[in-house]
Amino acid sequence: MNFSWTDEQHAFRREVIKFAQGELNDDLIERDRNEQFFCEGWKKCAKFGIQGLPIPEEYGGGGADILTTVCALEALGYGCRDNGLIFSINAHMWSAEIPLLSFGTEEQKKQYLPRLVSGEWVGIHAMTEPGSGSDAYSLKTRAERKGDRYILNGSKTFITNAQLADMVIVFANLDPAKGPAGISAFIVEKGTPGFSISKKLHKMGLRTSPMAELAFTDCEVPAQNLLGKEGSGTAIFTASMEWERICILASHLGAMQRMLETSTSYATDRKQFGQPIGKFPAVAGKIAEMDIRLEASRLLLYKAAWLKSQGKHPLREAAIAKVFVSEACIKTAQDAIQIHGGYGYMTEFQIERELRDAISGTIYSGTTEVQKMIIAGLHGL
Amino acid sequence: MTEQVENVNVKDQIREFVREAAQRKGVSEVTDDQSLVESGVIDSLGIFRLVAFLEESFRVRIGDEEIVGENFESIAGIERFVLNKLNR
Repeated sequence: MNFSWTDEQHAFRREVIKFAQGELNDDLIERDRNEQFFCEGWKKCAKFGIQGLPIPEEYGGGGADILTTVCALEALGYGCRDNGLIFSINAHMWSAEIPLLSFGTEEQKKQYLPRLVSGEWVGIHAMTEPGSGSDAYSLKTRAERKGDRYILNGSKTFITNAQLADMVIVFANLDPAKGPAGISAFIVEKGTPGFSISKKLHKMGLRTSPMAELAFTDCEVPAQNLLGKEGSGTAIFTASMEWERICILASHLGAMQRMLETSTSYATDRKQFGQPIGKFPAVAGKIAEMDIRLEASRLLLYKAAWLKSQGKHPLREAAIAKVFVSEACIKTAQDAIQIHGGYGYMTEFQIERELRDAISGTIYSGTTEVQKMIIAGLHGL
Repeated sequence: MTEQVENVNVKDQIREFVREAAQRKGVSEVTDDQSLVESGVIDSLGIFRLVAFLEESFRVRIGDEEIVGENFESIAGIERFVLNKLNR
């Protein structure tokens, strides 16, 4: 058992922090207020190599192992306060790049991965529908084979990066009689007739990450746009979710570290009743609890990533990490606000946004309740 | 002879796992060729439980791209998949 990063990983971590702190935090209050995606930041991250971290070099990526990827994303979360931008990057990596890498034909990989890695294209997936959220496989979008084409009909909701997307991996059922075994995945490019963005959605947090509903109306795609085989949609989705559940909260570790440091600094400088507020046990206890949650979160997330790096499928560990880290981040953001008092509640202190951004962590990539069902299910319940 | 014993052992262990999964889903009987997904014995979560069981029981490694319906469609299909891996 070895819990240390290598010298190279430490150096990379420092580079990511320096890059993120210097390049990604300008005008964030305004961008959050206006629900504005940070296009320039997206391009800078791609140029730095973030979007391509786990993708092999032959497709333009960095070829990093999953632990190095987690290390870099944690550093990104520490240096970059635009949690929406980081969320958009995560969605792009885990729901578009990884499924293409794992299930795409060589031709599909060569066609799409270099563009996604370079940030020139934005990739998304479309699974959730108005009537199917946690019960994802009860989706109603249909696919029909007609000669050398598939025809897609249906609607999707809560689609991250929808307005930015150049390509979508759409999940649709080819054979509803087979239930989930009929679900297949199709690549649909922007501009394909019958594919449209039907409604922009507004959110409590992660407001710099765009979200919308999509509509597919007699949308025709060539047969070669099938991702994987017919009926392998559930496999593609679950594999994608496994990566996502392990990695998407790595940036939360960085954010929690940042909130801990900011709160400690404030508790040291801010004086009331003639002494720093950190000297009061009630405040010091909150700082200690923030640290305890951070340490436990790190161990859980690193373990899930390590198991994945060993070729395992850490279903249980990823679910445990997802539940714990997402809830820890919310509690830490609440504590940070409480320690900062009235200032913490003010937008200009940029702490209240952390709480709004953190709340969705217990919802996306499978709610806390679904993760607990997974864990209990592994105990035979 | 050894290979035959091994094959029987693999199928028995898979049958036992599927039988328990079926019981939990209220399915009373599962034949070797019956579709486990269509009959509701194995759902999206169940596939990963099955993968974890196979990896642990038979010391095989199963890649993301192998977690597809054709490898886990039935008891007979799972057995073929595992034996192919063991004999590689």
